[in-house]
Amino acid sequence: MAREQLFVGLEIGTTKICVIVAEGRSDGTINILGVGETPSRGVRKGEIVDLGTVSDCIREALLDAEDKTNVEIGNVWVAITGSHLRSFNNRGSFMLPEDRDEIIDEDLQTVEINAKEVSLPSANSFLHTIIQSYHVDGNENVLSPVGMSGSRLEADFHIIHGVKNRIQNTLRCIESLQLGIEDVVLSSLASALVVLTQQQKDLGALVIDIGGGTTDYLVYLDGAVRHSGVLALGGDHITNDISIGLRLPIARAEILKVQEGSAADPQTCEEGNITLKNDLGFHGCEINRKSLNTVIHYRVREIFELIRNDIESAHPGMLGMLGAGVMITGGCSRLSDIASVAEDIFDLPVQLTRAREVGGSTQIFENPQFSTAIGLTKYAMAVSDSLPEESFLQRLAEGLGGLFRRRSR
Amino acid sequence: MKTAASRSLLVGIGNAGVSVLDRIAIEFPALQGMLVINNDADSLNASVVEKRIVLPSPEEADVSSGFLAIEEEFCAAIRGASSVIFCGGLGGELGSFLIPALAACAKADGITTLASVGIPFSFEGRQKRESAASALLKLHDLCDGVAVIENDRLAGGVPSTAAVGEAFVAADRVLQSSLLALQGMLATSGPVKISRSDLASVLGTSGSMTHFGHGRAEGANRLHEALEDALKSPLLTLAGKGSALKEASSVLLLLSGPADLSFAEVQRSVSELERMAGERCQVKVGVHAGEAQGARLELFLLASSGGASRKAVAPPKVSAPTPASAPEEQPAPAETPARVIPPEQPEPQEMQPEPSVKKAPSVKESKGSKTTKAGPSQQTQGVFDLESYQRGRFDKSEPTIVEGEDLDIPTFLRKGIKLGAALKH
Repeated sequence: MAREQLFVGLEIGTTKICVIVAEGRSDGTINILGVGETPSRGVRKGEIVDLGTVSDCIREALLDAEDKTNVEIGNVWVAITGSHLRSFNNRGSFMLPEDRDEIIDEDLQTVEINAKEVSLPSANSFLHTIIQSYHVDGNENVLSPVGMSGSRLEADFHIIHGVKNRIQNTLRCIESLQLGIEDVVLSSLASALVVLTQQQKDLGALVIDIGGGTTDYLVYLDGAVRHSGVLALGGDHITNDISIGLRLPIARAEILKVQEGSAADPQTCEEGNITLKNDLGFHGCEINRKSLNTVIHYRVREIFELIRNDIESAHPGMLGMLGAGVMITGGCSRLSDIASVAEDIFDLPVQLTRAREVGGSTQIFENPQFSTAIGLTKYAMAVSDSLPEESFLQRLAEGLGGLFRRRSR
Repeated sequence: MKTAASRSLLVGIGNAGVSVLDRIAIEFPALQGMLVINNDADSLNASVVEKRIVLPSPEEADVSSGFLAIEEEFCAAIRGASSVIFCGGLGGELGSFLIPALAACAKADGITTLASVGIPFSFEGRQKRESAASALLKLHDLCDGVAVIENDRLAGGVPSTAAVGEAFVAADRVLQSSLLALQGMLATSGPVKISRSDLASVLGTSGSMTHFGHGRAEGANRLHEALEDALKSPLLTLAGKGSALKEASSVLLLLSGPADLSFAEVQRSVSELERMAGERCQVKVGVHAGEAQGARLELFLLASSGGASRKAVAPPKVSAPTPASAPEEQPAPAETPARVIPPEQPEPQEMQPEPSVKKAPSVKESKGSKTTKAGPSQQTQGVFDLESYQRGRFDKSEPTIVEGEDLDIPTFLRKGIKLGAALKH
């Protein structure tokens, strides 16, 4: 069981910063005690561009969470995203010494180290090394090889890496608040943990978390992560497109997107105008609904097409094998008709989803905006029993270890 | 790159050409076979290149008279060379006239003739660009291959706040790299060579856009970094279309550097390029691995897209001896009874109505005739430059570039989708 019952997830998003405080239950589920949130400033496309401002925002969100939950927050689990994050699959192999034919724990670590013997860009560090499957003497998909006899151990890993300095910026910001960092987790990995059931992971599913500044996606198949990616595109781009296309101030465009926007195919949308009322510093006007939907539709379509093309080019045919279809979460998933566009692009069943199998305030876990932050607490619970003694920063200095090898499948 | 020049000659023409060759001479002192030609004696005196030909100054004679005055000296200078690569800026009187004229001389002597030329920035004026477009057409007819460095396309690589001088320096730097790439490809001693027909197949297409990238790196991860560096080149992207490699039918890749360049590195670079360019694109690779171990790896990419199909490698036009604008009393040299016509000076009335710098016109023109319509395979329509559009709230943030396309620009703009009546007050 976890060494602590309380877990705090911190997500520094482009539009909001949120802190989720949750407690782990003995049955393996988590109960959300409360959420602290504040609008985000100083973050662009998921990455910090103004350390001081972001620190202030985090402090506000922490105080909010502490007030609501009556918990003093000391350590946090942090979600990370950004276009600098990259992933690939790699196989490591290890020949057992001649005088031994039984696979031991150390062999698993050796095979993982061997899988990481790849040439990364010099500025990058490993973020996650996620086990997919083991193979013993050609026997495929062995779940737990320790104790088995064999002479050759192989393992497939999904490896995620990113620019070390950019990851460190996030950590510095949190450190300046005298907070401890338990671990850094890829946003899409955290989201997937909480929106997918084990059955869906086995069947195969694509999780898309569309936030304000980034769209994170991750593919599970046969119970393991097969692909992941980050696009520095999100709801802010839709707002920006509306602002440019319809010549509206950003704030007005945002309201229009939330209240009237639809990603539906403009060919099928009804004709008509939307009236924007006079406001301070803004003259009222009428907006053509079809124009609004055209702007949104093409942006949303492009985001899905980029994801589809990326997955298809990396793993041809994989999308067709995803039995559980596509799960869309994140704040932007609330955009009308977004599912129909995704269905059209992926040719798979699409579901708008949010955190599952968690207890607490329904207002919190039913809000797809909080999927990543809730996922962080679930991740924390899954791996905290095997968390190494050294801090995350120490591990970062050593080159960001693969925490997720401790299997939280 | 310290490739031995062998019998290849670099010829820098005009101020741009002299400046580029000076840079090369300083950076690669061992490189032989350079010649600079200019009508500015001061510029030549300051040049570090030893071989120079001084044209009469504009006050003394016009460019065509100047050409006739130096023709023999130039022919003597290139004698014995197996290839000549011209370098300079088109658009000015000197470059637009002299580069095609001297290329004709070299070609007539049976020498492989290539050119790497700069097309002026649009802010340099319409007349200059038209003159450059016209000269480019002639060069395509005369040379085996022409690498066209369109300065406007370099704008993506220069910060918008950069001084004007910096933009020209950046243009010169790319011109220098392209020249070294051509020189390297011609002079590659192996172990893997790029043939001249490969070069001609990529650069010999009239009206095409040249895509060029150059990267350099050293250390354990040199290949990845050099490739990444090269792919960042603004000349490897097409506005609104993403990576230019996708449009190219063949790509030339030159890896030049240390002797310990491994087979796996070459293989990886080719597979990475094939992945980016798509299946129908052919990657032709040249490797020059003659430097000391630990030396810097230089990676050059050269491709072209659009334009008419490759012209037949025909002998240059042969006809009456003297250029139209040359003084009549200048007879053709006796040893060349059939001479290549040095192209006329640029005549604005013969130029394309819209000589887009994005895509050089691909229609051929004949003296006194109007331009003919482009054939179906010719893609002469310029690409609308979306970069000048506002990126809105993302104007000052790091661009989201995927496959060379700036995704911060609204999708509907990039796709050219018209919005209905958007705003009614």
